[in-house]
Amino acid sequence: MAAVAARRWLRFRCKVCLTLTGQRAGPCGQVPNCRFYSGSATVPKVEGPNVTGIEEVVIPKKKTWDKVAVLQALASTVNRDTTAAPYAFQDDPYLIPTSSLESRSFLLAKKSGENAAKYIINSHPKYFQKDIAEPHIPCLMPEYFEPQIEDVSEAALRERIKLKKVKASVDMFDQLLQAGTTVSLETSNSLLDLLCYYGDKEPSTDYHFQQSEKSEELEEAAEENNEKSKKANHQFGNLWRPKNNAERIFALMPEKNSHSYCTMIRGMVKHRALVQALNLYTELLNNRLHADVYTFNALIEATALSAREKPEDKWNNILELLKQMAAQKVKPNLQTFNTILKCLRRFHAFGKMPALQTFREMKAIGIEPSLATYHYLIQLFYYHENHSKGSSLIIYDIMNELTGRKFSPRDPDDDMFFQSAMRVCSFLRDLELAYQVHGLLNTGDNWKFIGPDHRRNFYYSKFFSLLCLMEQIDVTLKWYKDLIPSVFFPRSQTLIDLLQALDVANRLEVIPQIWKDSKEYGHTFHNDLKEEILMLMARDQHPPELQVAFADCAADIKSTYESQDGRQAAPEWPANSLNSIAVLFLRAGRTQEAWKMLGLFKKHNKIPGNKLLNEFMDSAKASSSPAQAIEIVKLAGAFSLPICEDLARRVMANFAISQEQKEALGNLTSLTSDSDSDSDTSEDK
Amino acid sequence: MAAAALSAWLTLQPGTRTLRAFCTSVSPATRSAIPSPRTAARTSRYERPLRRKALPPRTEKMTVDQDWPSVYPVAAPFKPSAVPLPIRMGYPVKRGVPMAKEGNLELLKIPNFLHLTPVAIKKHCEALKDFCTEWPAALDSDEKCEKHFPIEVDTTDYVSAGPSIRNPKARVVTLRVKLSSLNLDDHAKKKLIKLVGERYCKTTDVLTIKTDRCPLKRQNYDYALYLLTVLYHESWKTEEWEKDKTEADMEEYVWNNSSSEKNILETLLQIKAAEKNLDVNKEELLATKEVEEYKKSVVSLKNEGDNENTLSQYKESVKKLLNLM
Repeated sequence: MAAVAARRWLRFRCKVCLTLTGQRAGPCGQVPNCRFYSGSATVPKVEGPNVTGIEEVVIPKKKTWDKVAVLQALASTVNRDTTAAPYAFQDDPYLIPTSSLESRSFLLAKKSGENAAKYIINSHPKYFQKDIAEPHIPCLMPEYFEPQIEDVSEAALRERIKLKKVKASVDMFDQLLQAGTTVSLETSNSLLDLLCYYGDKEPSTDYHFQQSEKSEELEEAAEENNEKSKKANHQFGNLWRPKNNAERIFALMPEKNSHSYCTMIRGMVKHRALVQALNLYTELLNNRLHADVYTFNALIEATALSAREKPEDKWNNILELLKQMAAQKVKPNLQTFNTILKCLRRFHAFGKMPALQTFREMKAIGIEPSLATYHYLIQLFYYHENHSKGSSLIIYDIMNELTGRKFSPRDPDDDMFFQSAMRVCSFLRDLELAYQVHGLLNTGDNWKFIGPDHRRNFYYSKFFSLLCLMEQIDVTLKWYKDLIPSVFFPRSQTLIDLLQALDVANRLEVIPQIWKDSKEYGHTFHNDLKEEILMLMARDQHPPELQVAFADCAADIKSTYESQDGRQAAPEWPANSLNSIAVLFLRAGRTQEAWKMLGLFKKHNKIPGNKLLNEFMDSAKASSSPAQAIEIVKLAGAFSLPICEDLARRVMANFAISQEQKEALGNLTSLTSDSDSDSDTSEDK
Repeated sequence: MAAAALSAWLTLQPGTRTLRAFCTSVSPATRSAIPSPRTAARTSRYERPLRRKALPPRTEKMTVDQDWPSVYPVAAPFKPSAVPLPIRMGYPVKRGVPMAKEGNLELLKIPNFLHLTPVAIKKHCEALKDFCTEWPAALDSDEKCEKHFPIEVDTTDYVSAGPSIRNPKARVVTLRVKLSSLNLDDHAKKKLIKLVGERYCKTTDVLTIKTDRCPLKRQNYDYALYLLTVLYHESWKTEEWEKDKTEADMEEYVWNNSSSEKNILETLLQIKAAEKNLDVNKEELLATKEVEEYKKSVVSLKNEGDNENTLSQYKESVKKLLNLM
């Protein structure tokens, strides 16, 4: 944008003017009174002006604030725009994503562009040396990934470790040993750290992206079934191979301190070599060394993951470990308790008591629980979503405790809390609780904990479905406008819930608008949604303007079916849809199109419903055309519908038809009545 | 290196394919809506792969009472799909109208202030009140401000979007002061004015010092103050060579010892001599009222220039002096 000039006027006393007597200049000094934008005004008390006598000009102390305080203050005056897509996308009708798949692929495309640019810069650093950024922006400059030091020395080894080159550093280490130089304990420890963190494999460029994906899949696998999770372990994850470089180097080290043991244990647990980890721990104890809190966390996880033990035994083992931790005077931290709770939640019924004990212990020690803690508790207590057992009321206690609090990220699983909380609200059908959870989400910075795309979609789907179920229709519609599609893209089921809510509240006139909206985000070809819409529109009679609107909507849906026809080999027009569309056309007075629909029935081999045929008959009567009436009867006869007779009788009674037509009708009905009489006679026998 | 990047690229692909169970279900029909060479080749029935359709502009969904500062919170280019006004701009063709807002480059080129509606400004001011301190109660009029704070310093900060936050224009400092608030006597004032030359404005009696010779604003500011100090002190000093000030150097016309005085004296003496009034004093002559008036009119004529007033005054005084009335 164009440069914006800000003028700042500074008026103050000139020190040169000596002869102006009688006035005291107030303190115009720059005493920093560090006032960050925390919302509370803390201006220090300035000496009050002397009103009596000579007027003193008292200049208040200048306030100071941090760099972004003004921006934050201005940002607090704006809210979210409910019609806009998230800011990361280009705000253009052609470029806004229309489904979650699209939005994910757009964001990935953006990120891959950035990665490609970074790759080019890093592979040709000599072309990107010019730096016009002032002040210097280090992350825009090319990075150097190749180790610079070439000779065989400990400094070279340290450099390779810093650049995270696993294989190169192992080779360097071996070379150093062959050359006879001893490697210092610190460097060996940092080499062990590198190996244990990456499990003796080279880190790939999207290591962290993959890690988070895998851990999520492991989570879900673990939730379902313990054995499945073992399979998941084998499929994903980086397994610890026995006798790999880490163990070899560990064995080669002349002296090992507790850091070395701890690193090895944590690496083994991370890569699922659980038994070895526990064995190494006993070795550590035998050497009379102490483990640190992170190692204990890893050991607790190892104990809980080891298979083939009953929950009670596992719990006793964990208690053993905790007692040893206390004996070694290692203070537990948040991760300790979270790991315990994470393991307990697999124990289902058995785990409830210990979980509450753990929670109370955590409070007693003074460690503030994080959102992940509450997430584990919820998962533990609400695992089985069946109504036969009484549901626990712990969610209410949790929400009462959490309301109004602002959280900061302290555990990788913090972003799973809102999803599980909303799942429980939906299960309990409690709207007040859902509002409480949503209010917590909107407090302060807690919106950051909503998690990745699919979790956000899940949360909002459940929330909105609950709203459709339990809330008044006006409020629901307000939420609809607010949330869709700027916050999440609804699934067909969510929209069907909304339609049913409209049905219950007798607000069917909103349906064409909802159809128009849902076309925008990818529901054009979702058959169940279209069927539901058509069914609701066609079910009852409505005032004429509404009928017209409905008929337009039906025509639109029909065109989507037709375009779908053109693109697929086997057209599928559900019978219900055909029925509904025809009825709507009839009711709005679009008889031409309605008759065309009848033709479609034959084409797609679907049977028209009785109600539909009656309506056609009514319309034929209204337009007084016996030809049409006979058409209908012929159609019914073609499909061999039992209603054919009734229709024929109606025609004969209500219409003025010629003799041939009567005979034709008679033929038709006789055909059907013949078959009837045949069946009668067969029954008689 | 390339292989690593390529593998990174490929491993990104599985991420897009792994759809969670509770993600939006994607039917095959929507998949084929995204043009891909496979489907186009497979099915010969299609004329061309389906083009992505644009959504309707979101102005249709905006309510009349929406919160406009939320739609345009910051300075942003004009987005026709987000501004619900039927604006037209451009030179129309013959018998036509100016072009509509969609795709209108003219609307994009000009700066727009959609983010600074009066409502938005009011909200901003409310939010910024916290950062302000109170105005001193004693300074409730302009004259008092002048009296207590006679010096005004102007500085300018520049903000722009770009990689660098530095702007060389930001080092300029302008210092303004009224000479009436400085303690100067007549000689000092005249000397100061001579020293500063163009920087003094006679009509407003303001001395403006604009410095930009130093690279930093602070340095320029110190330099400006230094200049003011030096000027003040220097103008109070009197050098010996100032005695050589000639009439051509004078800023304003001074009557005493001027040629006009001499002339009038001579004239009056001649008149008196013609009247045989020989013993008459020069000082007495000069002290008479007519001469005083004449002196005033000449001074004003010389200092203020020719206008109706001064010329008529001169005429009157000459007439009186020469007893022509």
